[in-house]
Order: sequence, then C-alpha cells, then structure tokens
Amino acid sequence: MLLVVTYSRAARTTLRNACRTHEGATIRQLGRAALLAETEFGAFLALRLREKHGDDVQIERTAPFNEFEAVPERVRAAAAAYESREQPSTPYTRFASGTDHPSPASMRDREL
Amino acid sequence: MRVVVARQEFVGRAIDLRPRPTPIDGETAVAAVRRGGAEAGSDTDTGTDMAAGDPRVRVRCRPPGPVHEFVGHLAAETTVPLRRALAAAARSRGLSAPQDDALRDVRAELADCEVPSIERREARRRAAAAGDEVERLRERVATLRGRVETLRDLGREAEADEVAADLATAATRLSEVETERDAAAQLLAELEEREREARDVRERRLRLEDRAANLERAARRSLAASVYDRFQDAVRRLPGDAAPGDEPGAFSGDPVTAALAVAAVADVTAPVVLATRRFADASTAAARLDAPIIRV
Repeated sequence: MLLVVTYSRAARTTLRNACRTHEGATIRQLGRAALLAETEFGAFLALRLREKHGDDVQIERTAPFNEFEAVPERVRAAAAAYESREQPSTPYTRFASGTDHPSPASMRDREL
Repeated sequence: MRVVVARQEFVGRAIDLRPRPTPIDGETAVAAVRRGGAEAGSDTDTGTDMAAGDPRVRVRCRPPGPVHEFVGHLAAETTVPLRRALAAAARSRGLSAPQDDALRDVRAELADCEVPSIERREARRRAAAAGDEVERLRERVATLRGRVETLRDLGREAEADEVAADLATAATRLSEVETERDAAAQLLAELEEREREARDVRERRLRLEDRAANLERAARRSLAASVYDRFQDAVRRLPGDAAPGDEPGAFSGDPVTAALAVAAVADVTAPVVLATRRFADASTAAARLDAPIIRV
C-alpha cells in the first residue's frame, strides 16, 4: 500500500478531500495520513498531492509485516513471554534481566 | 472624504452618486475606495494626485481597516459570515481578545520555524536509473556467458574467444554500474535521513498552525460576543426583518440587515458603498450607520 502523510493544514485538507472523492483507491484514512491502494491510480493521487504541496507530503510504500521472515526468534519469544508475565507491573528491563530475553538496548541497536 | 467622478467633485460624509447617465456600479466604487484608502495610508497628502485605476471614479479617504472587507459594499444580495464580521467590527473599535498574547507567541514561533528543503527528486531518479542499468547488464552478461559456453562446446574456439572478450567488457561495465548504483542508493538514503529530521520541524509547524487556528477561532468567538449586545440593538433599530438571537449562530432573518448592523457596530473609517434602498438617502444612512457613505 502507499502511505501518505501530510505536514501542513493545506496538504491535510487536500488529502481528506482526495480520500473522500476516491473512496475506491482509499484503503484507510487516518487523520492527516492515508493508506492508498498500490495501483497506478493510488500513485497518481499521491503524486498529485506531492506536486501540489511538495515536501509537506510524505509518501512511503508499505509491505505486510511477516515476523517469521523479518524478526529473530528471540525477539518474538520475548514479546510473547512478556505479554504473558504474571506481574503486570514488572517493567520489561527487569523482566528480561537474568534471562535469555534480549535487553531493550540490544534490540534498539539491531536493524531488522 | 472626497470623490471625483467624471470631473465632478463631491465632498462630505454622505455622498450620493446617483442619478447618472452611466451609473457607477458598487464594485467600481469599492475598488476606488480601497485604492484611495491605500494611497492615503502609504502617501502624504498632495490633494491633486489621486490614485490611478478606473479614471471615472476617484476617492480620497482614510485607509479601510479589515472590517471593510465585510461591510465595504452593502448591496441587496450581501451576506456576511457573522462571527468573523463581528470579530473584525470589535477589532475596529479597539477591542482585544484574551487569546491575543498567546496568538502573538504562536505566530512568532511559527515565523521562527524554518524547514530545511532537501531536494531528493533527482537522487530518486538516479537511483532508479542505476538499478535499471544493472539489471540490463546482468542479463547481457548471462547471455554472453551462455554463448561462450555453447561455442566452446561446439569447438568454435576462435568465435568463443571473441565473445569472451565482449563478456569481459560487459562484466567490467556491470561492476562499475553496480558501484554507481550503490553510491546512488547510499546518497538517497542519506537524503531521506535528513528529510526525516526535517519532518520533525514540519510536524512542529503543523501543530503550531493548528494551535494558531484554534486560538484565532476562540478569539473571534470572544470578540463577536463582546459586541453582540450592540449588534442586537442595531438589528432592532435598523430597517429589515431579523431576529438577532443571543449569539451569531442564532441570528435569523434578513442577511442584509445583519450586514448593516455589523457596519453600525464597527468603527468604519473608509466609506461604505451602499447599493440598497434601505435608507431614504445617503445622509440618513451615514447617520444611522455612523459611517461615511457612498450611495450608488
């Protein structure tokens, strides 16, 4: 999908109007951002916005997130284990220390 | 004020430009007022050198304030956005809103918001072109390699050597183009990274713009409320059928009456061009609206 994020009042208004006019090409409208269909028409709408509002329009191409493809097992396991912890008040850092779970700092440093 | 139409001169607070062989329309008169007022605001008085424009109508008057945008031309079809117009009328009387200080601060912050401009279009184009070229050369290298093998299998060594030389050239070119592609991708990534930082500034600017708009709306609401009792009085005593209600959203009835009442509430400096038959004559209008009037 194409993610379009706007950074000015004028660009936001144009985006909202475009989404309202082209519901078929709009997958989601989220305030000042929208997910447009990954079609030539979706790209056409996104490019028109950028022509009109320049860098007040950010366009990203999104892809579905497959954690089994992109994320190491230890990170997936840590997320699952932490969400089923017994003490809801335990912060993750304390939860992870002394276990095999990765520390937040180590995860921050590693790109997917 | 002083108005000159076709070498005929009018002076006073209420001027009637009718009847004429060729009537002056409202737009022409308003444009002449705004030109004349702008000139008075920017220039010293020379008395003879009046603003250029439509040579038929020239006006010398005080500069029109923002409220003139709403009530500068009152005609049979006039409608005004009531809250905005009343807020401008309140400002013309020197009133201020509780949001003014905060608004000034937000506008100053906005003026300081400088978003760096990072040109990435050419970098995107180059990265894409380099990628295409790599693909093309890869295919060529694969084709040549296949052909060399086939020729060798067939024992056509001389031809095979010739194609092998082409293959070597293509392979060298491929590696050069791959380097170019990597450099283009690297440059684009760096520019995108800088743009991400610039977006933090854009984000902040958008928040400030939203905050300014909210403050402006609140200020208009407060200003309009502060003159609403005067407006109610004016609606009741001016001609036309309308019920003011107790706030701008509650007004119902004749929109021209609303516009006249806004003019009456405002401290109007430049003449109001009046093109409706609500008053017997220009002097009556000037007295009842407490504003300089040009009747067309």
